[in-house]
Amino acid sequence: MAIALERSAVVAQRAKRHRLWWRAVGHFFVYLGLAAALVFFLGPFFWILTTSLKGNEDFFAFPPVWIPAEPSLKHYVGLFTRSSGARYFTNSMVISTLSMIASLAVSLPTAYSIARWRFGGGFLSIFLLVLRMLPAIALIIPIYIVYRLLGVTNNYLGLVVVYTVLYIPFAVWLLVGFLRDFPVEIEEAAMIDGCSRLRALAQVVVPIIAPGLAVVALFSFIATWNEFLFAIVLTGIETKTMMVLVTSFTSGGTDMFYGEASASVVLGVLPAFAVAFMLQRYLVKGLALGGTKG
Amino acid sequence: MRIPALGLKRKQWEPYAFASPAIVMIGFVIVFPLVYSFYLSFQNFDLSVGPEHEFVGVKNYTEAIFQDPRFMGSVWNTAVIIAPSLVFELLLGLGIAMLLSRVLRGRPIITALLAIPAMVSPVMAAMAWRMMFGVKYGAINNLGRQLGILDVYFDWFSSPFMSIVAVVLVEVWHNTPFMMLVLLAGIQSIPTELYEAARADGAGAWQRFWSITLPLLKFTMVVGVMIRLIDLTKLFGLIFVLTYGGPGGSTETVAFTTFLMGFKDFRMSYAAAMSYVIVGGVLILTLLFFWMQRLREARAAA
Repeated sequence: MAIALERSAVVAQRAKRHRLWWRAVGHFFVYLGLAAALVFFLGPFFWILTTSLKGNEDFFAFPPVWIPAEPSLKHYVGLFTRSSGARYFTNSMVISTLSMIASLAVSLPTAYSIARWRFGGGFLSIFLLVLRMLPAIALIIPIYIVYRLLGVTNNYLGLVVVYTVLYIPFAVWLLVGFLRDFPVEIEEAAMIDGCSRLRALAQVVVPIIAPGLAVVALFSFIATWNEFLFAIVLTGIETKTMMVLVTSFTSGGTDMFYGEASASVVLGVLPAFAVAFMLQRYLVKGLALGGTKG
Repeated sequence: MRIPALGLKRKQWEPYAFASPAIVMIGFVIVFPLVYSFYLSFQNFDLSVGPEHEFVGVKNYTEAIFQDPRFMGSVWNTAVIIAPSLVFELLLGLGIAMLLSRVLRGRPIITALLAIPAMVSPVMAAMAWRMMFGVKYGAINNLGRQLGILDVYFDWFSSPFMSIVAVVLVEVWHNTPFMMLVLLAGIQSIPTELYEAARADGAGAWQRFWSITLPLLKFTMVVGVMIRLIDLTKLFGLIFVLTYGGPGGSTETVAFTTFLMGFKDFRMSYAAAMSYVIVGGVLILTLLFFWMQRLREARAAA
């Protein structure tokens, strides 16, 4: 009797150890799979970064140089001086920042109107979603013709206006969500104390939903930063953005000017890296609503 | 008590005033150009000829749909690129999402790292890969030669087939993270009790996957695929940088062909008509998307 009990305990323990062992194997394969995924998805960035730091002689070496022994910043210097990279980087920064601010300023009251008064019924929300689906190619043709007539191609402002409006649907959609989560009572209290609706929005609601606004702002920043179709059609020599600059390196055929091309890609993807980490929790929603696509 | 008091104060025009700046701007920058473009699509406006144009009826549309092998070819090319891209993005995204859902430590950081390609511009993604595919200095040829797989420098963009493979590869690299994020959110919303109950009933890992995860993830997968499908119809920047439509137009997508027609040949009216054909296609897909969403809501309510 006692022996039988002991034996069953031994069997149970062995089974448990067996299960634990299998679980460990399972975890090993989970991490192995994820490691492979990380290599595939981040490998190109790593290669681009090391390539941008290589000396010219490293490109010709065989066996290939994967990590330069003496990293140098001379391709960045070349990009900033010879290829006017500094100007185009600044252009991208200015255009993205201006459209981010303008888009937010216009979208917030609209989102408020939808969230608080159900403005436009369901129709406005659907309309905004349809706009998000709209192919940009259908807009660029008429906008180019109008801009040509007005003489505002090759102009910061022309591009900023287009971007501001292009990302209104996205910003409104996200903001409506944030505003619906905001307790109405707080605003009402402020208004009973004699605050106007607009002041309540600006001084009571905005400070509290500031994190939400930051999320929307970062998404519209990265979206305008990444946008390409309008940028290539509506910009000229002085107003090119980073996206347009990068494409200028492709003219060298399959073996182009690797140093400066890779340096420009590194600078071009920098905001995406920053934003991916800052917005972790909102990535699904933002990407689904088209927050990063040009 | 407070709400009726507020209701008296509330002015009728306030909702309109708050929403009007955005609506006016959308009217000027989106709706008006669309209407103007629709008007143009029935004209014969050609910037390389001159500013004069006249009404030509539906000629542009019939030309695009029935007579222009290039445009219809680009529709075909787009489909050829979209189909394998969606399959691989879904399968790979699902696989990685499943792996991520089983990770105990470091999930947020791994997820954020894996999500980065989706945040990058298509232009930047294509540029990075174009350099990777480079004949003499590219990472792929160099690695292949170092490992002894390739004995000569290989030009990946010399044949239409390999070019399409390359475009699909870059597209899959670029947007699988999106699918992964969507599916991970879906997987995490499945109640764990279901799995515990199944395990208590003796269901194996495969059985749990087939009879719990997949059925409950079905709608999430449909939503993810539909969003990617709609966005893939606009594939432009990636093509512009990676292949510029070549070789021989084999990777020209509808958006890219329309772009060339408008900004290289300057046949504005014809390009406008082509863009409206694309809008029509996207509209059908969007309606399908809404219909599916409604179906899901109806099921959830039932």
